[in-house]
This record gives sequence, C-alpha cells and structure tokens, in this order.
Amino acid sequence: MSITADPVEPVPPSTLESERLSGQARELAKRRSRRERRFSIGVKVSYVVLFFFLAFLFSGVQISIGGIEINTINLDWEFIRTYAGFIFRGVWLTILLSILAITLSVVLAILGALGRLSRSPFAYALSTFYVSLIRGTPLLLQIFFFFLALPQLGIVMSGLTAGVLALGINYGAYNTEIVRAGIQSVGVGQREAALALGMTGNQIMRRIVLPQALKLTIPPLGNQFIAMLKDTSLVATTGFVWEILWRSQKVGRANFRSLEALLIAAVFYWIITIIFSAVQDRIEARISRGERTLA
Amino acid sequence: MTPIIKVTNLDKYFDDLHVLKDLSFEIAPREVVCIIGRSGSGKSTLLRCLNFLEPPDFGTVSIDGVEIRCGGQGRAWRKQVHDLRLKTGMVFQSFNLFAHMTALENVIEGPITVKKMGRQEAIELGMINLEKVGLMDKANQFPSRLSGGQQQRVAIARAMTMQPKVMLFDEPTSALDPELVGEVLAVMQRLVEEGMTMVTVTHEMGFARRFADRIMYMDEGQFVEVASPDEIFSDPKDDRTRQFLSHLHVHQHEHAHS
Repeated sequence: MSITADPVEPVPPSTLESERLSGQARELAKRRSRRERRFSIGVKVSYVVLFFFLAFLFSGVQISIGGIEINTINLDWEFIRTYAGFIFRGVWLTILLSILAITLSVVLAILGALGRLSRSPFAYALSTFYVSLIRGTPLLLQIFFFFLALPQLGIVMSGLTAGVLALGINYGAYNTEIVRAGIQSVGVGQREAALALGMTGNQIMRRIVLPQALKLTIPPLGNQFIAMLKDTSLVATTGFVWEILWRSQKVGRANFRSLEALLIAAVFYWIITIIFSAVQDRIEARISRGERTLA
Repeated sequence: MTPIIKVTNLDKYFDDLHVLKDLSFEIAPREVVCIIGRSGSGKSTLLRCLNFLEPPDFGTVSIDGVEIRCGGQGRAWRKQVHDLRLKTGMVFQSFNLFAHMTALENVIEGPITVKKMGRQEAIELGMINLEKVGLMDKANQFPSRLSGGQQQRVAIARAMTMQPKVMLFDEPTSALDPELVGEVLAVMQRLVEEGMTMVTVTHEMGFARRFADRIMYMDEGQFVEVASPDEIFSDPKDDRTRQFLSHLHVHQHEHAHS
C-alpha cells in the first residue's frame, strides 16, 4: 500500500477539490432550474385547464355522463356580439376616472401626511379629522353624497367631476397613511445632516425627505390604483357616469341579458387589471434595480 | 486671542436625565480639541448641542460672534440658530449622505439650497473639495456604490463646501471597518494642517495624541480633566481618566494581537 502521490498526476489536490465543488454547484443549479421549470409548466397547464373548464361552463352544451344530465350555461352570443362594443366604450372612462382620482388622492395624501406630521396643532387636527371622517364612512355613501346630497344644496357637478372628487378624496385618506409611513421610514440621519447644513424644515421636506419617501410609496400606491380601477364601478350606481358597469347594466336590463352584460364587464375589468398589474410589476422591478445602486 | 467658540453654563436634560452639567469652556481659532470618554458620558450630546441638533436647555453658546441664549423660541431665535449652524460643519458617525443624490449632488446641495449659490459656482467649489478628499473620480456615484471610508470623505467634503468656521466630528471613524479608518483620518489631518478649528468626539487615541491641542475627558456630563495630550496620556491626574485610558490601552493591545 503506497501513500505517495501518483507521479503521473501532477494536479495539486486543492485544484481537484475546487473542481469537484464547482461540479457540485453546477449540478445543484441544474436541479434547481429543473424544479422551477417543472413548476412553471405545471402552472401554465393548470391555467389552460381552468380556462377550458370556464369555457365549458358557458358553452351551452348538454352532456350526459352515466345517465346524469349536465346542463352548462347557455349564453346569448348574439347579444354579446351586439353590445360588447357599447360596453367597451366605457373602458376609457374607467381608466380616465381612475387616473384623475388617484392623482387627486396622492396630492391630498401628501398634504394629509404633512399635516399628520406637522407641529402646527391646526394642521395636525385638520388632517386627522379628514382621515378619520373619510375612513369612518362608506365609500358608496360618500359617492352618493357628491351626486345626490350636494345638488340639494345647489352644487351640481358633471358626473366625471363628482366621481373624481368622491374617489380622490376617499383614496386620499387611505393614501395619507401610506405617504406618512413613507416619510417616517426615511432615516433621521438624513434630516440631521440637512439641519447641520442649515436647511430649513421646508427645504428638508422638499429636497431630502419627500423624494426618498415617495419612492418608497410607489409600490403601495400602485396597489391602490389597481383597487381604484374597480372601485370606479361604484360611481355607476348614480347613473351619471357612463363607465363600464353602468353601460353593462343599461343594456343588460333593457334586454333581460344581465348575465351576459355583467360577464362582459367582468372580462374588461379583469383585462385592464392584468395590464396595469404588469405595468406595476415593471415599475417596481425598475425601482428595486435602482435601489441596488441607491440604497 | 478671542475664542471662536464660547460656551457658558450649558445644561442639557433628556427628560429627567441630566446629561450635561453646567459646562463652560472656550476654544481658540485653529485649535483642535478632542473630546473623549466612555459611552453615555455626554460627549456626543455636547457636540450636537454646539450646533443645536440637540437644543441645550440652559446657558449660552457663541460661535464666531453668533451668541445664542438657550431655551429661546420664535422666528428671530430660529434665525440665530440658523446663522450658528452656518458657522459649523458637521460629520456624523454614520455618514448620513443623502441616499438619493450622487456624491457631487450631496456636496453642492447646501451651497445651492441654503446659500443660494449659482449651480456652476457650487459645482466648481464642490469639485475642489471632492478633490481635497481624493474622490473627484467618484463625483457621479451614489453613496451606495461607495465604501464607508469614501462615504465619510464625501461627508467631510459636503461639510467643507459650506465653508464653515468650525468643524464638528461625531465619532467619524467608529462605523468604519478598521482598514478604512486611515483614509478618513488622513483627510482630517489635512484639515488640521490647513488650520481648521476642529472639535472631535473620538475613540481614535492615536489621532487625539498626534493632532489635538487639548483633550477633554468627560464623565457623567462633566469635564473630569482637560489638558494637553502629553499630560493626559502620560500623566492623567484623575482616577477616572487613568482607568479609562488603561482600559483603552489593554483593549488596543488585545487588538494588536488578534
């Protein structure tokens, strides 16, 4: 038995060892990616199955399995072909309403958050009062207030204006908390460094704290926007804003085809949400990539 | 020579805790003072009271002709505090660079926003100071791309670009990995050589010994001993100073061996 190294193999043992390890690392990476690929294929297959199940559910066919009759839902495709375009024209109004209302809500949220963090007693009280009142009453009530109660006082607005105000003011209250949390998560050191430079409170807020805080609030505000896209439908109940749901209800009731009309509306809302969620994912990815260079 | 910093009967409380007790001292122009002491002795609080990041409760602080009686309020008083802050530059333990700004933007933020300096002029001045700390080539980097030592050097450049009369350093090397301490101390040495008045809270006894004109040893909110480095290090008069230093020597000895 010899314990001397084989003279034909001059490779030092450390190199062998590291090759062995890197081989293992490669093998592990391969296993991991195989696992991930299998999972994502499984997800896609499941989507297809679910889709076909839904399609079957609304196909209108009758089948019998072992003597049991199964009736699927029969849709009036003629109605759908006729009125899908009419309902689709509400999509732009839904999106417009959402964008205007979320913009208003962010402006209110910044003011509200500054109020909540203000040393001025009045500003603090005003913003606390605003958040409490709005969060303490239903959104639908607030919408009715703008469409039905204000006209009684002689204040009559266009449907779009009233809708934007109601939704913007409501979401502003919730977003106040989001912006406030963003502001508070900017480190106290940032403020102290700015104070030491001689910056005033306003300058610090505008130039140091808000730019960093608002970046942190982009993901949660994106969620709020996506929620808003669907809450715009509440405005339909007033009958003054011809967005997706209002259009769908109008033609659905008139033709006794509410099932079809609501399904069309649901599909449109769903598609809009998927699109804007994808946009949001993109934006978040870009921010987190930026954070790797920023934070 | 008239002192550039004059503190009289300064008291500071954190709620019931009396953290600074009736402190009075003067610092001459171009003087380098190091404040040492155990943690909790009040040394950082004292430094932060000098530019009112922590407003002292009683006494007066005067820097380069701006004298403030503590405990005031109102617009005129706040203006005074603002004027006093313009006399001082501060460097923090954790650097506190503005995370959303590049090194150069950090450096020119004060001159542009506070002093209303033109952007071009501020950039020129900023680049001069970035060059002084050896980081001209990092001007367009965000803080997250810089090492701790580089961040602290940018922070020094940021303070210097405001052209302060006094520089306050709050444990400027305590948050740094050991191999990065030297580059920051080298920049501070350069400021000493340029004749900057400096007040430094530090645990770097090597720096204190070499560059301080005076060392103030603090304990429980009071100065226990104020003397030249030679006197403090070779012949401490007070028991507490002696204990603190011997503990430190042992500690540094251990460090050298580890």
